[in-house]
Amino acid sequence: MPMPASARPESGASGLSRIIDAAPLVIFLGMLIYIGFNAPNFMSFGTMQLVLNQSVPVVVVCLGLSIVVMAGGDDVVSGGIDLSIPATAVICAGIIAQLVTNTDTPLLLAIALALGAAMFIGIVAGLMVTRLGMTPLLTTLALFVAVVGVTKVVTSSRRINVDDPFIIFLRDGEILGISAGVVITLALVLVFYHFIHRTKWGLNLQAVGGSCEAAEISGLKPGHFLFWAFVIAAFTGFLASFFLLARGSGSSPGTENNLMLEMVLATFLGAAFSPRRVVTLWGAVLGAVLVAALSIGFKTMGVNVFWTGLIKGSLILVVLALAALSSRVKS
Amino acid sequence: MNQTLKSIIARFGFLIIIVAFVIFFSAVNPVFLGGDNLMNIVEGSAILLIVALGMTLIVATGGIDLSVGIALDFGAAFAIVAMKEYGFGWYGAALIGISGGAIVGLLNAALIVGLKVSPFLATLGTFFIGSSVQRIFTNGGGPISHRRMPQEFRDLAVGDVFGIPTEVVIAAVLVLAYFIVMERSIIGRRVHALGMQRSAARVAGLKVNKYLILCFVAASMTAAVGGLIASANIRMFTPLSGFSYLLDAIAAVFIGAALHPRGRPNIPGTVIAVLFLGVIANGLNLMGLNFNTKDALSGIILVSALALVVAQQKLRH
Amino acid sequence: MSASVLLMQDIAKTFPGVVALDAASLSVRPGEIHGLVGENGAGKSTIIKVLAGVYHADDGTVSIQDTPVSPVTSEVIHAAGVRFIHQELHLVPHFTVTESVFMGQEITTRLGLSRRLMCARAETFFRDVLDVEINGDILIRDLGTAERKLVQIARALIDDQARLVVFDEPTAPLASGEIEKLFRAIRRLKDRGIAIIYVSHYLSEITDICDRVTVFRNGRDVAVLDKVDENCANELIKAMVGREIDALYPKSGHTRGALVLQAKGLGDTGYFSDISLSAHSGEIVGIAGLIGSGREELIDTLYGLRPARTGEVTLHGKPVRFSSPADAVARGMVLVPRDRRRDGLVLDMSVSENINLASLEEVSCYGIELRNRARERASRQIRELDIRPDNPAIISRQLSGGNQQKTVLARWLATRAAIFLLDEPTVGVDVGAKVEIYQLIENLARNGAAILLSSSDPGELIGMCDRVLVMMRGRITHETSAVGLSIDQLVAMTTGASTQNSAEGHADAR
Repeated sequence: MPMPASARPESGASGLSRIIDAAPLVIFLGMLIYIGFNAPNFMSFGTMQLVLNQSVPVVVVCLGLSIVVMAGGDDVVSGGIDLSIPATAVICAGIIAQLVTNTDTPLLLAIALALGAAMFIGIVAGLMVTRLGMTPLLTTLALFVAVVGVTKVVTSSRRINVDDPFIIFLRDGEILGISAGVVITLALVLVFYHFIHRTKWGLNLQAVGGSCEAAEISGLKPGHFLFWAFVIAAFTGFLASFFLLARGSGSSPGTENNLMLEMVLATFLGAAFSPRRVVTLWGAVLGAVLVAALSIGFKTMGVNVFWTGLIKGSLILVVLALAALSSRVKS
Repeated sequence: MNQTLKSIIARFGFLIIIVAFVIFFSAVNPVFLGGDNLMNIVEGSAILLIVALGMTLIVATGGIDLSVGIALDFGAAFAIVAMKEYGFGWYGAALIGISGGAIVGLLNAALIVGLKVSPFLATLGTFFIGSSVQRIFTNGGGPISHRRMPQEFRDLAVGDVFGIPTEVVIAAVLVLAYFIVMERSIIGRRVHALGMQRSAARVAGLKVNKYLILCFVAASMTAAVGGLIASANIRMFTPLSGFSYLLDAIAAVFIGAALHPRGRPNIPGTVIAVLFLGVIANGLNLMGLNFNTKDALSGIILVSALALVVAQQKLRH
Repeated sequence: MSASVLLMQDIAKTFPGVVALDAASLSVRPGEIHGLVGENGAGKSTIIKVLAGVYHADDGTVSIQDTPVSPVTSEVIHAAGVRFIHQELHLVPHFTVTESVFMGQEITTRLGLSRRLMCARAETFFRDVLDVEINGDILIRDLGTAERKLVQIARALIDDQARLVVFDEPTAPLASGEIEKLFRAIRRLKDRGIAIIYVSHYLSEITDICDRVTVFRNGRDVAVLDKVDENCANELIKAMVGREIDALYPKSGHTRGALVLQAKGLGDTGYFSDISLSAHSGEIVGIAGLIGSGREELIDTLYGLRPARTGEVTLHGKPVRFSSPADAVARGMVLVPRDRRRDGLVLDMSVSENINLASLEEVSCYGIELRNRARERASRQIRELDIRPDNPAIISRQLSGGNQQKTVLARWLATRAAIFLLDEPTVGVDVGAKVEIYQLIENLARNGAAILLSSSDPGELIGMCDRVLVMMRGRITHETSAVGLSIDQLVAMTTGASTQNSAEGHADAR
C-alpha cells in the first residue's frame, strides 16, 4: 500500500525499526560468538571448513527455493514455495548410486538419467502450478512424498556406497587449499547470482514475484517465469545430489526430511536477515551456513544432540517473530 | 463429443476414479469387497480421519498446521506416561493426553495470533521444537511401552460398541461434531468468513483472534485424540510417529475442498477423501506388493488424484 | 498534421445486465491535454479499457492518427504509441528506480544487464522530460508517492515512442504540493507534442490543466467543451449529472439529538494529531480532506482497526478503548469501509451470508444456524434496500458496486447500530444507486443515528452533511456548517488554498 510522503513515520520510529531490523542477525552472531568462547576449537580453520562442507547441499537447494520464492512471491501458502527440491536431490542421488554401484553403469549415463528424472519432476511441478493453478505448497508437498516413494523403489530403502573418483573428489579434494565442494558451490552461487541479478531474465523473474500486476503491465508473463523457476529448482536438486553423495559417501535413506526442513529454515531465516525482509540468494546462503555453524557449534560445546533441535527451533521462532514485529513497526 | 466428455469429467471425475479403483482392486483380489475388509478400510482410516478433521478446520481459517503430528505424539505420550508413571485411570489419562495436544495448539496460537508469524512457519517451528522435546524426553527416540495399560484405555483401539470398533465410533462422533460446528453452526460461518477474507471479517466485527486461537487449539486436541487411539492400539508411545499423518491429512483436506462447489474445505469432502486414501492403501496392501513399491504407488496416485480433482474443479467453472 | 491523434466513434459495450457504453465517442487532437470526466459508472473507465484492448467493443471504430485499428489489442495499441498511466502504481517496492523504469524493456549486452547505461538514461529522462531529479539507484519504497507516480510515467515513456498518454486519476494518492510537481511534468510532455487524456474526478484539476474536455454520462459523451477555464466547473457538473446537483441529495435539515460520539486529542504519530470531534444523534458530520490528510487513518482508529497513541474517545458519555472492530460493533458503532471489495464484504459468500454475518446470533438457536430464518431475514433487507438481483443466494462478488455497498449497509442495518462511520460510501457506485444510498443515509439520520461521513467528494459532503470537518496534514483545520457552503470554498479548504476560517467557523463546534 503506497503511503503519501507527507504521512510517513518520523525518523524516531525508523531508528527503532532499524535496531529491530538488525536484531535477527545480531542474535545469531551473538550465539556464535558465545559458542566460540565456550568451545575450544570452534574458531578455527578446520571447523570453518567442516561447517561449510556440512552446509553445501543445503546451500545448493536453497538457491532453488529462493528462485521459486522470488518468482512466486513470499506468501508461503499461496505464493511460491517448492518443498520437492530435497526429494529431487535424494532421488537423483539414489539413481546415481544405484546405477553406478549396483549395475556398473558409466557415471555419465547415470548422471544423465538423474538429470532426466529431475527435469521431469520440475516440469510436472511447474505445469501443475501454472496450468492447473494448484497451490505450490500442496503440489510440491505431494510431489515430495511421491518422489520419496519412488526413491525407495530405486534404492530398495538401502544405503548404497559410492566410491567413484569424482564423488570422492567432491568429498576430499581441494582447490587452492579449500575443499572442492565448497569452491564449486561458491562458483554455483556466483553463477546463480549473476543469472538472477545481472540478466534481464533474472530481473524479470524478480519483478513477477514482487508484483504480479506490475509485471503484467510491463508485458511479462508471470506463468512463464514461475514454470521455469520450478524447473531451475529441480535442477538445483539435481546438483545437490552430488554433494549429498559426497557428504554421505553414497546415498542413504531418510536424508530428505532433514534436508527439507533445513532448506525451508535457511531460506526464510535468510529473509529475516535481509533488511528488506525478502528472500534473497545471499540471505539463503548465509542462513544455511549459520544454521550449520550453530549445529556444529553446539556439538563441539558438548550440548546433547537432542537439545540442538529445540534450541534451533526456538531461536528460529524468535528470529521470525522479530522479523514479523519489525514489519509491523514499519507499516 | 469433447464437450460432453468434459462435462462428465467435471461432474463425476473423482467419483469415476474411486469406482475404477474399487473395481480394479476387487478384480485383483475378491477379498477386497468383503464386509470384513470394508470395515478394515474404515478402521484403518479412523486416525487419519480424526487428524484430517482438525486440519480441515485450520485450512478453513486460511492457515495450515504442520504440527498436527506433534499434537498426536503429545496426546499419546502424555496419556501413556500418565498411566505408566503416575497410575492414572483411563479417562484421566485420556484427558491428560488431550491436554498435551492443547499445549501444542496453544503454542501455535501464541505464535500466530500473538507474534504474527505466518501459520506455515509458526507450525514448522512448533514441529521442530516438538520433535526435539520428544527426542530429549525419550533419549533419542526410543518408544515408551506400557503393556499393562487399563483395559478400558486399550479398548479405545480394540474394543467395540454394539459390534462397531470403538475407534470408528469415536471418529464418527467427531465427524458429526465437526460437521455440525463447521457446516451448520454460526461458529462455522464465522470461521469460513475469516478464512475467505480476513480483513472483511474483521471489519464485520468478528473476533478474528479469538476464533483463530480456538481453531488451532481444537485442531491439536483433535489430533491428540488420534494419538490416544494410536497408543492404545500398540500399547506404547512411539516418538515422532505422528509425522506420517501430516501429508495425507493435508491432501485429504485439499481433495475434499476441490470437491466442494465453492472450493471450500468441508467435512463431507474430507471424509470422502480420507476414505479414498484408505481404499488405495488397503487395495495396494491386498495386492501383496512390497513395501517400497506400495509407497511409491500411493505417492504417485496421491499426486494424480490431486491434479485430477483440481482439474475437475477448474472444468466446472 | 492529422486532425486527431485518437478518434473513437460510436463505441458500444454491454456487460450482462448493464449497458456500459452506448454509442460513445472521443476525439483527441495532437498536442492537447484532453480531460475526460463523468460520474462513476458513466463509462469513462470502460472506454479507456476498450482503448487499452482490455475490453473488446461490441460496436464502433477506433482510429489512431487517422488509421483505423482493428482488432484493438494491447500490442497494437502499444505499438501505435498509446501509453497508460494506471491509477494504481503497480511498482515493486524493493526494486530500484532504474529497474522499475526499465521493467520488461531492459537494455542488455552480451554480459548481461547494462545497469549503468539504464541508470543514466533513466536519470536523464527524469531531468529532461519530467523536470525532476531522481536518483536511479534509490529503492521505490524510499520514494514519496509523487516520485513513484513519476517513475510510473517514466516506465511508460522511456522508449520515446509515446504519442498519446492516458492518465487515469493520477492525483488520487497525491498530496496537494505533489500535484503541482505532476502537473509540471504533464505540461512538459505536452510541450514535446505528446497528446494526453486526463481522467479525473477533481474538476478543479480538469479546469486547471486541460485544453478540452469530454463529459460522459450513462455510457455516452454528452458534451465536449472546446474552451476550458475556471468558470466552466458548473457547466461540467450539470453535464455530468444531467440535472441540478441538489436533486442528488435528499437533505432536509435534521433535529440534533444527544451527544453520542466524542473524541478528544486523538493522535497517531505521523498520521494525525490532536483530533477532537463530536457527533450527535440525528446528525451527519462530514470529514473532508485529501488522501494523505489522515482522514482514513482517523476513521480506522475510531473503529479500532488501528490503535490510538494519544487521546480518548467517549460513546454516550462513557470512555471507551477499542482494541478491535468487534468492540466497536458491540457498542453499536459500525464502519462502511472505503475498500468495499477488500474490507466490506466477504466476496465469495452469498448476499444472505454477508447480510447476516454481523448478527448471526439472531438467526440461530443454540449456536445452530437457522437457514430459513437467515434467508428470510436477508430477503427482507434485500427488498427494503432494493438490492438487485433480489436473490439472497447469489455470490456477492457478482453484484455491481452499488448493490455491494447496499449489502454492506444492509448488514449494519440488521444489527441496529446507532453510530455509522461511512468512509467513501459512494466510490465506484453508479448515479442511480448513489441516490438510493444517500436516501438510506438520510433515513438513518432521521431515525436518530449519528453519522460520520468521510468523503473526497465535496458535493457529497455539502449535499449530505450538517457540519463538515476539514482535515489537512493530520489536523482538523476547519469546522464549518454545510449550509451555504460552496464547493469552491470546501475545495479551497481541503487543499489549503484558503487560510481564513469560514464565517460559521468554530461557532458550530460542540
